[in-house]
Order: sequence, then C-alpha cells, then structure tokens
Amino acid sequence: MTKVTIETIDLVKRYPISLRSIAGGRHWECWGRVGGFREIFMRKKGFIQALNKVSLKVYRGEVFGLLGPNGAGKTTFIKILCTLVLPDGGEAYINGYNVVKQPGKVLRNLQAVLGEQHRGFEWRLSLKNNLEFYATLYGLSKRYAKKRIEELLELMGLKDRANDMYQRLSTGMARKLQLCRALLLDTPILLFDEPTAGLDPTAATDFRQLLRRLAKSEGKTIFISTHNMWEAQSICDRVAIINKGEIIACDTPENLRRCVSSEKHYRLILDGESNGKLKKVVDEFEGLNGVKDVSLEFDSQTKIIVKTDENFKILDMVNLIAKYSLNVRDIETYEPSLEEIFIKLVKR
Amino acid sequence: MITQLITIAIGILSWSINAMYRNRPVPEYDTDYISFLVVGLVIGNLVMPISQALERHLNPWSLEAIIMTGIPVPIFVVGRIAWPYIFSVITFIPQIAVGILLFGVKLRINWFSTFLSFIISATILLGLSMISTGFRLVTKSTDPMTWTINVLQQLLAGISFPVQFLDSFIPGISMISWFLPQTWVYHLWRLSMLKAASIFDPATQLDFLKGAIFGVLLLPIGYKTFKWSLDRVRKDGTLGWF
Repeated sequence: MTKVTIETIDLVKRYPISLRSIAGGRHWECWGRVGGFREIFMRKKGFIQALNKVSLKVYRGEVFGLLGPNGAGKTTFIKILCTLVLPDGGEAYINGYNVVKQPGKVLRNLQAVLGEQHRGFEWRLSLKNNLEFYATLYGLSKRYAKKRIEELLELMGLKDRANDMYQRLSTGMARKLQLCRALLLDTPILLFDEPTAGLDPTAATDFRQLLRRLAKSEGKTIFISTHNMWEAQSICDRVAIINKGEIIACDTPENLRRCVSSEKHYRLILDGESNGKLKKVVDEFEGLNGVKDVSLEFDSQTKIIVKTDENFKILDMVNLIAKYSLNVRDIETYEPSLEEIFIKLVKR
Repeated sequence: MITQLITIAIGILSWSINAMYRNRPVPEYDTDYISFLVVGLVIGNLVMPISQALERHLNPWSLEAIIMTGIPVPIFVVGRIAWPYIFSVITFIPQIAVGILLFGVKLRINWFSTFLSFIISATILLGLSMISTGFRLVTKSTDPMTWTINVLQQLLAGISFPVQFLDSFIPGISMISWFLPQTWVYHLWRLSMLKAASIFDPATQLDFLKGAIFGVLLLPIGYKTFKWSLDRVRKDGTLGWF
C-alpha cells in the first residue's frame, strides 16, 4: 500500500481581524486616533475563515496540486504544513509527525519554496556563501554541503554565477537559488508555492521535468500550489480545488474533467461543400442520439461543430459522413481544460 | 514624530549635562574624566552591535527561512549574537589602546572581574535583545521597550558622566539609573577596568551580585517573551509580515 506522506484531518484556521492587523504595522500612527492600547492590541473585530475542515491525503511519489483563486487558503495550508502558521483546529501530519507537536521532526522531512524569492538571503554574500550558510543551519557536514551545493548549482544552471553576490541576480535566478536552498537537505517531501513563477519558459519546463523526476525516480512527494492550470494539468497526478477555505474537489485531472462535464466537441473541417447539402447534414446530425447541439462555422474553411454527451456513438457520425460522401479534411476533438473545470467548480 | 522629538531632547540634555561635568575628577571610579569617558564610549560600542546584529539577522524578512531550517530559534539568536559580541570585545582592545596612547587613559584592570563583567553584560544584553526582538515580531515596528531603554540609557545609564552627578539636578534621580540594565553593564566594566575592583572585595561584591541578578532575571524573561511572540505571530499568521 502506498504510504501517506501528507495528511490533514479537519484542518481549521481563522485569522483574527484586529486594528493591529488592519493597521499592518503602522498601528503607532493609529494610536490615539482610533483608540488606545486595548483597541489596537486586544480587541478583535471578527475572523477570516482561511481553512474550514480541510482533509487531504497525499501519497509518496505523488505530484499533488492545490488549485484555488486568490485568498482561497492555499498559502495558509502550505504554511501550516511548514509549521510557520499554527492551526486553530484539526490535525496535520508530515510522514506521521504532527506539525504542531513535532515541528523539529516535520522540518527534517519537508522543505518548501514559498512566495517571495528574495527572503532569507544575504544580499552581500555570494550564491555559494548563502547556500553554505543554510547548509550550516541544516547541520550538514562541510564535505557533504560542498558536494551538494555544487550539484544543485549545476542542476539549476547557476554554476557560473556561484561567486556572484546575491544582489546581482535577476528575479528568475533568485528563484532558482531559492529552489537550491529547498533541495539542500534532500527531504522526502517538497512543497512549492507557485514553483515556476518568475522562471523563463525553458527553465520552467526543465523545472517541471525535475519535479516529475524527483517524484517518480526518487519517490519524493511533491506538493504544489498554483494558479497555472496548464502546469497542474501537465505535471500533477492529482489535484485538489480549494475555494473559500474548503476543498471542493480532489481527484486526477482526468476524473475531474469527467465529473464536471461529459461534454465532448467534434469539429469537422470540410473542403468545398454546397450550402444545401450542409443544411441536410446538420439536420441529420441533430437527430443523432447523444448530440446536444450542431452549428456551422464559415471562415477560411467550412466547419461543422458537433457538441455531444456520453450517449453519443462516434460510429453514427462516421456513417453520416459516408452517407453524404462529405469531403472531410480533418476532425478535431475538444475536451474542457482544467481551467474550465476550475472555473465551473468555483462558480458553483 | 513625537518619539523623534523626545530622542533629540534627551540627546541634547545628555550632552549638556556632560559638558557641565567636563574636567572634573571622577571619584566614583578613582579616575580622571577622560579615562572615564573613553572607557564609557568604548563600552557603548560593545553594547550597540548586539542589538544591531539581532535586528539585522532576526527579522520577519528572514525568519520564515530560518525557521524552515529546523534550527531552534533561541540557538540561532545566541549564535548570531555571540560573534558580534566577541568581535566587539576584540575591537575593544585597539580602541582602548588608542585611548591610552593618544588621550592618556589610565587603566587599572582586574582581569577576573573584567571576565565576569563580560559574562554578566552578555547575559543582560542577550535577554534585552530577545525581549526587543519579541516585541518587534508582534508589533512590526520599533518596539517601545528598546526605544525607551535606549533613550533613557543616553541620559541615565552613565555613558558619559557618573549617574550620581544627576542628583545635583534632581536629588535622588540617580536611583532610576540603577533600575536600567545598561547602567550595570557600564558600571561593572568601569569598576573592573578603572578601579581594579575585585569581586572578593566586600565594597564591590554587592555591585557584581546586583548586575548578575539582572542577567539571571533578564535571560529567562527574554527567552519567554521571544517564545511567546513567536507563537503569537504563528497563530496570527503574521510571521512573515514586516
């Protein structure tokens, strides 16, 4: 049986809304205008429900994607797993270790790449020195750290810049260095918040391949939160869709597509057919079992668009093409993308 | 704005009092004023890097990444403060040498007491730094604790004149100075370096004991405050805010 590496049970997080949080660090300026110590520091103005009974299981060797609109709770979820935010209810486990009670053990099992790429780096140290600093904090031996840092800089294409000061890096390179830092410890679980944000297309593709390789050949669990539907569709084994702090769907991208919509579209591209013949063909298509809608499109080519449901049999369409001896140059099929599924689910 | 005005006012007041004190002997430490002043300023250089180091290395900008390494934060704090403090002590020596060679500073050092002063002041400063960092984590701006202590230190901790001199303006005000932890940092170093005070001498033994009590109290209070603040911001979800 595949091992569960990340598990959350009824995870709840509420953020208090106080004048302190509203003031966002400028509360001394509010002093006296909106109230005194009690108003600014103590009094709560309500709560924002960031997570509401979120239960998920992620397995070893899986690439798992968490999709959701802005403010859905994705970052809160990841930060709870990283022990950076304390939950208000429920439980979360990383390789069996409780994120609240055993944070030390949790952090020996996971590393994460979070939001802003510049955080935690010394701007006046070289890339190599920055990684050496973190290797020391991770408690890695000098010899192993040196080897690992060289491997990672090579892997991310930063070897030539190893001795450059951090402040000379571009955004994309800083992102790559952040990834190097996360991979330093070689943990079995890796969490990524928007992993390819800021990377150029080649680096992003290489990085996606790297994630797949880490999951499939090294058995690592990869958990990503992303807005990039194409990315989720192309690399994730399973995805969960989160909205307003609740998981509204969790399955493989293929199953999600089937659940949300069994609709399939066929586009027949024709060469030189008369309008009279096309009208008859459209009428007959509409009479076929499982056909929901038929339309014609005329631009540089003539196209028949057939929208079908699960009862439609492709043989019926082939017979009809043969019956009218239609000069079909190509048939295109179309299924709803993960993006469309996401929008449908979120708007429900 | 208000805090800036207070800081300026206290600064002016402090240097005015200092100017009035100039060229007097300093019987409290059996020395002359130039020795008293140079040693005080050098100790000031010893104190400042500690809070600066903590502010630089333990802020919301880097804290998330540091916590993610799994290193216990108090160990990180001690590690980050230890080197600047040792470095400050090392630079203390050439600074004193300049004082001796150029300004004729006269030192009477008791090495064991100096070592003890080093330990006591490190404990006091570590505690204060942790309290200050804890406040800053929660409030996300300059904490009132550090500001109050720094401002009062300028006037009351005896950096550039003996605290007893304050009594000639408002009788009894020097009492407040002895409640400031930094006063003990300056006092113990000066006793050890200017007066060759021994901890076995009953006249100064109590001073070392009082300084040590500050250290013993401030270190656990600092640790608890810092830990409370860290848990608080993790609960509020504001750890990475700045």
